[in-house]
Amino acid sequence: MIHIENLVKRYGSFVALDHLNLDIQEGEVFGLLGPNGSGKTTAINCLLALLKYDKGNITVFGRQMHPDSYDLKKDIGVVMQNVAVFEQMTVRENIDYFCGLYVRDRNERQKLVDEAIRFTGLEDYLKMRPKKLSGGLLRRLNIACGIVHKPRLIIMDEPTVAVDPQSRNRILEGILELNRQGSTIIYTSHYMEEVEQICSRIAIIDHGQVLATGTTEELKSMIKTGETITIETIHLGENELDGIQKLPHVFDLTYEDQVLKLRLSSAKHNLIRILNYLQEHDIAFGRVFSELPTLNDVFLEITGKELRD
Amino acid sequence: MFFLFKYRFLQTIREVSVMFWALAFPVILGTLFYFSFGSGIESTGEETWDTVKAAVIAEDDSSENAEAFHTFLKEASGKLLKLRWDATEAEALEMLDEGKITGIYYVKDTPSLTVGKNGLGESILTGILDSYNQNFALIQEIASTHPEQLPQAFEALNDYRQTTREETLGGQTLDPNVQYFFALIAYACLSGAFLGVRASFDTQADLSPLGARRSVTPTHKLKLVITDMTVLVLIHFINILILNVYISQVLGISLGDDLPSLILVDFMGSVIGVCMGLAFGSISKMSLSMKMGLSVALTLVPGFLAGLMFGNMKNLIELHCPVINRLNPAAVLSDAFYCLGIYNDMERFTRCLLILGAMSILLFITAFLGVRRESYDSI
Repeated sequence: MIHIENLVKRYGSFVALDHLNLDIQEGEVFGLLGPNGSGKTTAINCLLALLKYDKGNITVFGRQMHPDSYDLKKDIGVVMQNVAVFEQMTVRENIDYFCGLYVRDRNERQKLVDEAIRFTGLEDYLKMRPKKLSGGLLRRLNIACGIVHKPRLIIMDEPTVAVDPQSRNRILEGILELNRQGSTIIYTSHYMEEVEQICSRIAIIDHGQVLATGTTEELKSMIKTGETITIETIHLGENELDGIQKLPHVFDLTYEDQVLKLRLSSAKHNLIRILNYLQEHDIAFGRVFSELPTLNDVFLEITGKELRD
Repeated sequence: MFFLFKYRFLQTIREVSVMFWALAFPVILGTLFYFSFGSGIESTGEETWDTVKAAVIAEDDSSENAEAFHTFLKEASGKLLKLRWDATEAEALEMLDEGKITGIYYVKDTPSLTVGKNGLGESILTGILDSYNQNFALIQEIASTHPEQLPQAFEALNDYRQTTREETLGGQTLDPNVQYFFALIAYACLSGAFLGVRASFDTQADLSPLGARRSVTPTHKLKLVITDMTVLVLIHFINILILNVYISQVLGISLGDDLPSLILVDFMGSVIGVCMGLAFGSISKMSLSMKMGLSVALTLVPGFLAGLMFGNMKNLIELHCPVINRLNPAAVLSDAFYCLGIYNDMERFTRCLLILGAMSILLFITAFLGVRRESYDSI
């Protein structure tokens, strides 16, 4: 459905997109995951032909995307990172206005607007102006304006920024519902939990480059970390730490503020082996956590830095 | 198309800050002008003035120019202007201090005038002196370049004076304060720039998220821009008509009898104001508040040069650098209103319309080129 090849975008000497390549298939919820400033929004803006780019090729629905590709634009819905609605118009007027930019027929428009209102749960706020809405409701209005015309492709650029957890869950459920109704979705975020929760395939992006692409499981299998074990313990000396480091499958160890953090490659009985070692050496310990690898671990191993940074 | 029109209309008229500058502010300013000038403004053209009193001091009447000015004052003296010839300078200054006279004319090689304060009478005395100086300079120029045409020149000036006197006393109005209201309407026309600046912000992807969202829809940018311009010009045209009705019907100040021509100037003023705002709004990436702030200057400076704050400003510019008055849309608009309300000079009015038309086309093209972009270097 979307093919981006060797996309380069420079702002002066700063390279925002550095030979970015992406392929997105119809029916996917495709996540574009990367820290702030990694190039996600720039890539989206180039894809929408809002931004000129220096090099590369973008095709949408198998055709070149240009600023005047109006026939392609009618099948695309965009939910901007910043809320983009008219402050002077009511909730219903805003949704109707943006629907009207895509759909000429008045009856059809009315039907679509009603559906979008139901879908985003804005029935009780139709006559309110955006200024009166809470952050979560405002985001839902922003989404309603972007998806009201039922597009084949929906691009959502960090739609849950500054949204409370309850509204966030509702938005994420809504995105999955849109996908079930047949829309392909591109979802950019720096919240890995969201991306992990809803995306069928993910591209990790940093410094304008795609570092890895695949399903969540595929991405996790690409890295060395199979398990992260965290143990609260006091008075660990150099000898004990050396001993733990030498245990099978342990490849990374940190000990700070009486918290021992171990990263181990995937293997059976890792946790039992560690706890046995502690007991054998009379090392007292408190709480113990064992976690499977997350996308943050994937990002950490690929880039050497935390995604949350 | 109608639906685009409807929502743009609703969105614009509900934008309180923009409508304040485009409509409420000129109305408030007009009201303040009216109360500042008090009952000195008379719309009916009936003779309701007090006679303006002045003293004449012959400082040096030996030169040809002084003699000519002396004769001019004698001829000018009459119903409107009452001159005292017998006072000494000290007596005249005392009378000026006491408010018994409005000014003192000094007859000498370069005639001069002393007034005590600013006001209607003082403006009339100044106007008389300015008129004399201009005519004298004209006659001198003709005498040096085409002396054979001097008799015709004198005849023409005599006719002009006759015409002027007849039309002002028996025609529309003599009130120099009315020019403030013409400058005010001209300023109000330009304040359409506030609407234009606001709309340009919603149109361009590099200026606002709303601009970006509208740019990724299948509605052609040209259609969006033309709809916006049409709605804004219509709204501002209505604003100006409301201001005209307020000035003429509520404040009772005559803006002339030629209603179709007045409406035409109002319309062209609305186009210029809106396009000026669209053009200004689209040429830089400043924040909206910064642009709105600069729009105050963008409208007030031409208004000031057209005589909004200092009534004689336009005349001073006309005397020293007339090209500014030709290029300043507020001055051209004010002049067009003056032609309708005071001069009834269709030739000058047509010239004003042509200048306004040319400016409108230029600003429209600039505005359109500014807002029609669809792809940007940075957002």
